Amino acid sequence: MTSMVRSSAVTLALGYVALGLVALVLFAAPLWYAWQGTIREGRAEILQADAQRLSDVYRREGIEGLRNFIDARIRMQIAGDRILLLTDASGHPLAGNLDAWPSVPTAPGDYRVQFDLRDKGGMQAVLVHVASLGKFNLLVGRDNRLFAPLEKRFWYGLTGAIAVLFIAGLLIGVITRRALMSRVDSIRQTVSAIIHGDLKHRLPTHLSDDELNTLSRTINGMLDQIEQLVHGVRNVSNSIAHDLRTPLAELRSRLEELALIRPPPEQTFGEIDGAVADVDQVIRIFDALLRLAEIDAGLRRSGFVAVDAADLAATAVEFYAPAAELKGIALTFRAEGPTAAAGDPVLLAQALSNLIDNALKFTPNDGRIDVSVQSRSGGSVDISVADNGPGIDDAEKAKVVERFYRGDASRGTPGVGLGLSLAQAVAKLHGSTLELSDLNPGLRVLLTIPADSAPPAQPASDVPAPSSPALPGIAATSP
Amino acid sequence: MKILLVEDNERVSQFVIKGLQEAGHTTDHAANGRDGMFLGASEPYDVIVMDRMLPGDIDGLAIIEVLRKAGKRTPILILSALSDVDDRIRGLRSGGDDYLTKPFAFGELLARLDALHRRAHGVNHELPLAVGDLHMDPMTRKVSRGDRQITLQPREFKLLEYLMRHADQVVTRTMLLENVWDYHFDPQTNVVDVHISKLRQKIDAEFERPLLRTVRNAGYMVTAG
Repeated sequence: MTSMVRSSAVTLALGYVALGLVALVLFAAPLWYAWQGTIREGRAEILQADAQRLSDVYRREGIEGLRNFIDARIRMQIAGDRILLLTDASGHPLAGNLDAWPSVPTAPGDYRVQFDLRDKGGMQAVLVHVASLGKFNLLVGRDNRLFAPLEKRFWYGLTGAIAVLFIAGLLIGVITRRALMSRVDSIRQTVSAIIHGDLKHRLPTHLSDDELNTLSRTINGMLDQIEQLVHGVRNVSNSIAHDLRTPLAELRSRLEELALIRPPPEQTFGEIDGAVADVDQVIRIFDALLRLAEIDAGLRRSGFVAVDAADLAATAVEFYAPAAELKGIALTFRAEGPTAAAGDPVLLAQALSNLIDNALKFTPNDGRIDVSVQSRSGGSVDISVADNGPGIDDAEKAKVVERFYRGDASRGTPGVGLGLSLAQAVAKLHGSTLELSDLNPGLRVLLTIPADSAPPAQPASDVPAPSSPALPGIAATSP
Repeated sequence: MKILLVEDNERVSQFVIKGLQEAGHTTDHAANGRDGMFLGASEPYDVIVMDRMLPGDIDGLAIIEVLRKAGKRTPILILSALSDVDDRIRGLRSGGDDYLTKPFAFGELLARLDALHRRAHGVNHELPLAVGDLHMDPMTRKVSRGDRQITLQPREFKLLEYLMRHADQVVTRTMLLENVWDYHFDPQTNVVDVHISKLRQKIDAEFERPLLRTVRNAGYMVTAG
């Protein structure tokens, strides 16, 4: 029961019930007041008119005439809701249906008094009008019981409304609580399953857009991200084991061999160069991983500036042109429409360079690679790198962007297997994903970056000339 | 060159000092921030190599800021284990002139120190450049060797210009990537070498004496010597 009371849904329901009661009372009180006021005034008028009529009789026919009139009236009365009393100055009753002057003043006016009415059962609240007729006193009253049922019904109605409000409120509270608890429970179960290490679980969501659902969806998005990160970390640690250990093992054996064999200087220097190259390879992997971690953490978003996607792509194409020429590959570049975008120029350049480098690696001699930049209708900019190489199997498409994944085709090629995953991470930082599609033959990699919505804070193309005394080469990234 | 090295790691210090000595430079060494600040402020150096993370309460960037506020214009190269682009920007904002991430190749350090030193002595971007019989006019963008005109693509021109501005100095691949292509990452391929060999085709192929040389384990050098 305590958990019931503590439940936020029930607390809320109780709160609403209390609020409903206050509203009801606030509504009923003026009604009651107005009603009572109207009835009282109306009755007072009737009584005054009555008294006026009786005093007319007195004026016309004298005290005896009035006595007869009153007696006749009382005899005629059926419902008996009239109260009449005529007394002389000493308070002795002369006519009427009361035995003695009640506990009201004899001065003229309207009074409210409790009467023990004969044959009417108990005390009744009665409104009386007192008038003075010369040395006689006249009291005209009316039994309130005519209105009693109405009053009773009002109170019954009010009580009923309160009861209904109370019960309905509690019921709704309990039902809401139950509905809420079942959903909260399922969320709790999912979350505790996740705490215990199974990141595959997702919170149940419905089509509706209520708060809990929106929250669930947001949490699911977070879980996706976490799962991917955890998966990435797992992958990376596995791959580090392989990809970092290989050059380290090579390095170790190289150095150990040197120490053991002590070859002639010429050969020793060759081995040392080899060892330095091994270390460089380790450093390269390390740098790539650090860069990936930096991108994944989303920290580089602060480095977003206005960039021209076409410029970036043109530079990358031009950079790789001689290498393509050596392989006899036709490397072409085409840009269409506005290509202004918002992004991180350093990372975009690196991603582009990785994509072209990757295409160059897998495209056979005399093949072709087409790089194109196109603005999309939505305002974003597509950068596509298409080759006519062997392409990638559908099964492998998801894997190639994984860290350190190297397809069978890439065995024996240089590289650390981080190129596409870096491009993927960069795409993600720019709010999109790397799209791989088949060209039969060939592969098309699409990197979409958002258009430059904000006015450019500083033109990104303002690259300082080499050896200018400005910050060397990072002007493009400074915000 | 007279160089100040502010670096707390003994091994790295020895390695750098020895290398610089072999290259014909004299080096003062400060193993902590306070000594580094004192030496940097009081002695005239051609270049300062500043480790970013130093023991004690003064860090490399703080020293640089103090030196710059004191009006010292000595070129400073920051050495750092922090490789983030943002860290780099922060380093250069504090008043550093170049940024090199640890671990580094000594050749890279030496080449960058040479470039910093030369830059500090003022470069006139409009004056014609000449190495041996190779001439370049940055204003008209004309290049010639001997009496023959050489036609270069814009990027080839930029590449050769950078090499000629650093004539008789080793220029590393990283320096070329950063300054010619504005690429602040390692493309992991030998593309720079391919560009160099294309350039070599144009300026050296039909001449007796090659001017563009490859320096083993370091980079390239344009020299008439």
